[in-house]
Amino acid sequence: MATESIGSLIKKQAKPAALIFFLLTLCLGIVYPLVVTGIAQVVFPVQANGDLIIHNGTVAGSSQIGQPFSSPQYFWGRLSATSPVPYNAGASSGSNLGPNNPALVQQVKFRVDALHAADPGNTQEIPVDLVTASGSGLDPDISVAAAYYQVPRVARERNLTESDVSALVAAQIEPRQFGIFGEPRVNVLSLNLALDDMSAHRISVPQSTGSNAYSLNGPPDQVFGMRMADWIQVLLFIGLVALLCVPLGSWMAKVFTGKPNFFSPVFDRIEQKILAISGVDSGEEMDWKQFAVAVMVFTIPCIAVVFFLELLQQHLPLNPAGLGAVPWDLSLNTAVSFATNTNWQAYVPEVTMSYFTQMVGLAVQNFLSAAVALAVLVALIYAFTRKSGTTIGNFWSLLVKSTLILIPICLVLSLVFVSQGMPQTFSGAVTVPLLDPVKDSTGALVTNQTIPLGPVASQVAIKHLGTNGGGFYNANSAHPLENPTPFSNFVETFAIIIIPAALCLMFGGMIGSRRKGVALILAMSLIFLPLLGLAIWSEEAGNPVLAPLGIDQTPSHLQSGGNMEGKEVRFGIVPSALFAVVTTVTSCGAVNAMHDSFMPLAGGVMLFDMQLGEVVFGGVGSGLYGMLVFAIIAMFIAGLMVGRTPELYGKKIEQYEMKMATIIILIPIILILAFTSLAVLTTAGQSGVFNPGPHGFSEILYAYTSAAQNNGSAFAGLSADSLFYNITTAIAMLIGRYAVIVLTLALAGSLVAKKIVPSGEGTLSDHRPLFILWLVFVIIVIGALSFLPALSLGPIAEYMGMAAGGLIHV
Amino acid sequence: MSDVENSRKGIPAIPGLYKRAVVDALIKLDPRTLIHNPVMFTVEVGSAITTLLYLQALVGAGEAPAGFIGAISAWLWFTVLFANFAEALAEGRGKAQAESLRKMRQDTIAKRLRDRYKITKGSEPQDTDFEQVSSSVLHKSDLFYVKAGDTIPVDGEILEGIASVNESAITGESAPVIRESGGDRSAVTGGTVILSDWLIVCVSANPGEGFLDRMICLIEGAKRQKTPNEIALNILLLGLTSIFIVVAATLSAFSAYSVQSAGAGTTVSITVLVALFVCLAPTTIGGLLSAIGIAGMDRLIQRNVITTSGRAIEAAGDVDVLLLDKTGTITLGNRQAVEFIPVDGTTIEELAGIAQLASLADETPEGRSIVVLAKEKYSLRGRTVGASGPEAGMQFVPFSSQTRMSGVDQGELHIRKGAADAIFRYIESSGNAVSDELRQAVATISQAGGTPLVVAQNGKALGVIHLKDIVKGGIKDRFVQLRKMGIKTVMITGDNRLTAATIAAEAGVDDFLAEATPESKLKLIREYQAGGRMVAMTGDGTNDAPALAQADVAVAMNTGTQPAREAANMIDLDSNPTKLIEIVEIGKQLLMTRGALTTFSIANDIAKYFAIIPVAFASTYPSLAALNILGLHNGILAAVIFNALIIVALIPLALRGVKYRAMSAEEALRTNILIYGAGGLIAPFIGIKIIDMLLIFLGV
Repeated sequence: MATESIGSLIKKQAKPAALIFFLLTLCLGIVYPLVVTGIAQVVFPVQANGDLIIHNGTVAGSSQIGQPFSSPQYFWGRLSATSPVPYNAGASSGSNLGPNNPALVQQVKFRVDALHAADPGNTQEIPVDLVTASGSGLDPDISVAAAYYQVPRVARERNLTESDVSALVAAQIEPRQFGIFGEPRVNVLSLNLALDDMSAHRISVPQSTGSNAYSLNGPPDQVFGMRMADWIQVLLFIGLVALLCVPLGSWMAKVFTGKPNFFSPVFDRIEQKILAISGVDSGEEMDWKQFAVAVMVFTIPCIAVVFFLELLQQHLPLNPAGLGAVPWDLSLNTAVSFATNTNWQAYVPEVTMSYFTQMVGLAVQNFLSAAVALAVLVALIYAFTRKSGTTIGNFWSLLVKSTLILIPICLVLSLVFVSQGMPQTFSGAVTVPLLDPVKDSTGALVTNQTIPLGPVASQVAIKHLGTNGGGFYNANSAHPLENPTPFSNFVETFAIIIIPAALCLMFGGMIGSRRKGVALILAMSLIFLPLLGLAIWSEEAGNPVLAPLGIDQTPSHLQSGGNMEGKEVRFGIVPSALFAVVTTVTSCGAVNAMHDSFMPLAGGVMLFDMQLGEVVFGGVGSGLYGMLVFAIIAMFIAGLMVGRTPELYGKKIEQYEMKMATIIILIPIILILAFTSLAVLTTAGQSGVFNPGPHGFSEILYAYTSAAQNNGSAFAGLSADSLFYNITTAIAMLIGRYAVIVLTLALAGSLVAKKIVPSGEGTLSDHRPLFILWLVFVIIVIGALSFLPALSLGPIAEYMGMAAGGLIHV
Repeated sequence: MSDVENSRKGIPAIPGLYKRAVVDALIKLDPRTLIHNPVMFTVEVGSAITTLLYLQALVGAGEAPAGFIGAISAWLWFTVLFANFAEALAEGRGKAQAESLRKMRQDTIAKRLRDRYKITKGSEPQDTDFEQVSSSVLHKSDLFYVKAGDTIPVDGEILEGIASVNESAITGESAPVIRESGGDRSAVTGGTVILSDWLIVCVSANPGEGFLDRMICLIEGAKRQKTPNEIALNILLLGLTSIFIVVAATLSAFSAYSVQSAGAGTTVSITVLVALFVCLAPTTIGGLLSAIGIAGMDRLIQRNVITTSGRAIEAAGDVDVLLLDKTGTITLGNRQAVEFIPVDGTTIEELAGIAQLASLADETPEGRSIVVLAKEKYSLRGRTVGASGPEAGMQFVPFSSQTRMSGVDQGELHIRKGAADAIFRYIESSGNAVSDELRQAVATISQAGGTPLVVAQNGKALGVIHLKDIVKGGIKDRFVQLRKMGIKTVMITGDNRLTAATIAAEAGVDDFLAEATPESKLKLIREYQAGGRMVAMTGDGTNDAPALAQADVAVAMNTGTQPAREAANMIDLDSNPTKLIEIVEIGKQLLMTRGALTTFSIANDIAKYFAIIPVAFASTYPSLAALNILGLHNGILAAVIFNALIIVALIPLALRGVKYRAMSAEEALRTNILIYGAGGLIAPFIGIKIIDMLLIFLGV
């Protein structure tokens, strides 16, 4: 077996690769979205079709999508950075202005002046969400504080009493969802429609309810510097992850050890069928070379099919917007991006990708890229559990099993998302009228808004569960249709981290010691939690640059406060910071707020999250195999310190393992630093930069960090759709993914051949607190030593500059 | 001897050691030599680059003040030199040790037997049978002849003859030892001197391939093969070095971009980048790594253990099963007679007398102890075989493995003593029955862990001699320590299970192998190894050879046979079976020293960042100066100087090894992380600050 040439190995795997790819595409790209759409259209017909508001018998807009308001008699919403008009639902976008960017100050000043001009007598501090742009540019909500702030102006303009308008506002307040999630808020379109009704006497003044929870007085109950409501959300999140990763992990362990479980009757039959059609003998085990060849051969159709779907989409069905071919470099970048589980997006999906491309191309890769990494992880775990073996499992069998694990969870998630107002339809965009028409940049009056739809929920489910992160819309999970409610946001955040967390327990289950799995999850948490705390603290404090402009950034009952630029009102600060840290520690890369607009420290945290190697939870599969590589290095040094050749999970760590582990860790570090320096040295690289100063450097550093670590999130101000960035990030993604996979499999090949050393007093335990702390130390030190100089020219310089007194560059 | 620290022999003052090390340090600057140590090689390249920059600055076109570049450059060279010095020092000491061993290797005249010579049993070769040649031309399987007063020219295996040999040159033990053909004492070592009689010896190794030659090679750095674990660590260090090369190289681009984007400051100079790289690169461990390895070998030699592979020392640290011969290791050399138990109406005096008679010709220690017991307890005077008187005409019947008895015949008197079952057979074959009293006496002794030796006269039992093993003092504590270190001890003995179990319990070993045969030993080792364990054992006999070859760490006694010595990967010149425990400790200490210094080296980097980064970028982003938490004035130079001096400061630790005491893995890790991890984080903050203050004081 071992003597087979690579050529013959490739030839042998070509047929299964093609057939399995075809069958899984059929299943994931056609059957799965059809099933979800069918159920959604029957059970949630309103939510699945854009959640349109029928007002006085006509469609008045979408309750999810904000509309631009600039007339003084209307309540105004958030600023919108979409072009060519604000609240252009056809091309969602945040401002991506950095916290230290003079343009941000300019934009805020402009809004402050407009508010003061429209209501000269109002000297209150202005709630921060009213002067900052939302992440999507389509935020339908404003904070309760922002609504009350505008009451005097609206009342005067409409000749209504302030108390009547206040009562209307109070009646329109949407409390925290289920009393727990998100922020209390006011839907601006809905408020303005009601306002028009009240002015036209179609409705009477609402009775103010006796117990108004949203009184203007009294500070919120703060616990350790954070509002109780925020604590509840964070703790609930951590608690639920901790609780549910246990059964999920043990179920996955059962699937991969062939033990019967609830799904096995169905799963086994489907797997056998697929493998039989593809001519694979599932019992035939592979050595690491065969396994690696199979992975690489399978990659070919994954990249090629997406690439050609993009190039040929104008000739394919399900293209209601009539979108044309995607340019070759962008197609290539996107194909690589999705096959590598990076899901870096250099395009605006709404105006680039047809439904067919998204559904049959991108969504399928969301599944397969996660499943491939999961299969590689399981092979590595087999290498630890098997004694003196040569084989590490059958890739095709593991691939199908991994895919099957994802499907039932995705079905449930999709329907939860649809219930919250996420579209799931094959119909094209719908056009709705604007209540307060605006002029575009040429001065022409725009009276309509286009609400984009599509088979969104089915794709978003796997986008999170598979730690993919590629959005159906440009604003990703900041988009109101891709993340309609605080609850959907909670579920999306949860879905990102649950499999990576559960994999630790799966590992524990497969290796026969749950404690070893728990140890890994604790090590991850010890890194995750302080970084999360730092990000939240940094965002809650708000932007000091805005303080002198009379902006209220203090968290209260009525607003989340903090740094609201690029964030959505319905989520507020803490869930946005939580999402940002979760998406960067896992290699997901979905965003529910614009990372470019985070404060320097929080932005630095996100960069560092990725630079730690995407092993703190990390991507599905890839995170844990990366973590095990770090554990090898940590155990090697620790083992030396106790005076014997180190062993991890009973396998001796020797030259070969150290060689592989070191190179695996080296690869992304070198990719990130080398490509960043290439970009900063070339005009092509520099020209993509959006924000000035150290923040601009962070944008480039972030881009290659995200690409090499297969994360996919971005400091999105960077203009990444250029030949230079499309090609360089594609190379970084390819090497960052496949070189690591092949070396990991080589590592597995070496480990599986070893005996298992029984543990005793002389063995250093790999699950006790001391080793956990040591592992954490090694991960942080390697990350810090590699990236501190670069970070000090980016976020650290920016932070220190701002701390030393405001803008660095005006 | 419970602690490596205590048992260490004083290191003899070696004249000129330091001077020679300084010269060697300079010679080692040759890049062709230094390339074998990639970490230090990159530092040398950095030193060369800064030297060129210094020269450029001297002619007035420098990227920074010449004084600054010159100082950095000088200290970078010192960094390399210090590392070279450490290695040279370790080599020097090792060489001095080996040299003293090699002295006895010096060319001697050997009497090589001619090809036509045929060995005839018991006859000494004539002058015409051999030619006088230099010992350096002796090849494997040549025969040579030595007689009283000759120095044995090279290692070999005795084919004929018996002689007393003075081996003090290698063992330090002045008492002569007997060497004879066949059996377990047939090996001779080059450099030892024949005191009496003569030998015909077959050369066991070609010139330069002997044990000692190989050991000397191991110590001499240039030819030193890196050991597996050292290579693995080197890979990690090389990986870290590559990262820091990329970090420093790309930083130039990052800095240039930042200068352009901020419109302030100057791009960080190459000198600073080289300084940053050298400070971050794991120079502390990289510079001391080979010194640690050599010093480990050196510590073995100091304990009179020579090894042919560094791999074996590392493996010693990994050992989790020790197979220890009962005799000599766990118990005091030999069993001793402690009691006579008469049976079947015999009086105790009678028994003592007969027992003494039976043992007169028995030169084994057991035999002698019987004579001594009879003499001391029952005042029977010692008698000698073949003398006149009642003993005249005695015929000695030697022990044979068929009968498993020995004794004397005197006319009609047949006295036999031996193992119980053998004597029982003898009694029954004489037509007598074995009495219950006898069986009872035998069982009692066996149950107490003793060895019953039954004495019979003319087919009738007289009584039993109780032979007892004396467990060595302190050995039990030693096993407790080993258990703490996670090492399992297994006692190997030819005794029956009952005897073995008793001694095992008394000595506190974890397990035992009773009625051991070469096959069962081999099988036991293979079983442990199949279970993933590393096995160490000592041996001396030819029949130990297969097991020695199979064991991961195999220590042959210097007194052992040539096959045993060939099969082993270490030889203990003192032939002390307890040495194995020390060897394990040396192995562990070697790995621990590497791990501790690696941790220290990496932990150091954090402080160095705080010294260098604020200075490097302050011209572009002045606010970064707030990161200069130590308030340094010459942060970069201070960090570079610290980086160089720390190597010197740690040379003693590298040569001596970290302090070792028996403890569990968990404890060892905690201790070392606290000392070398936390210490490594804090020490440079203090050190760099002090150096910076000194620099200010000196007006730099």
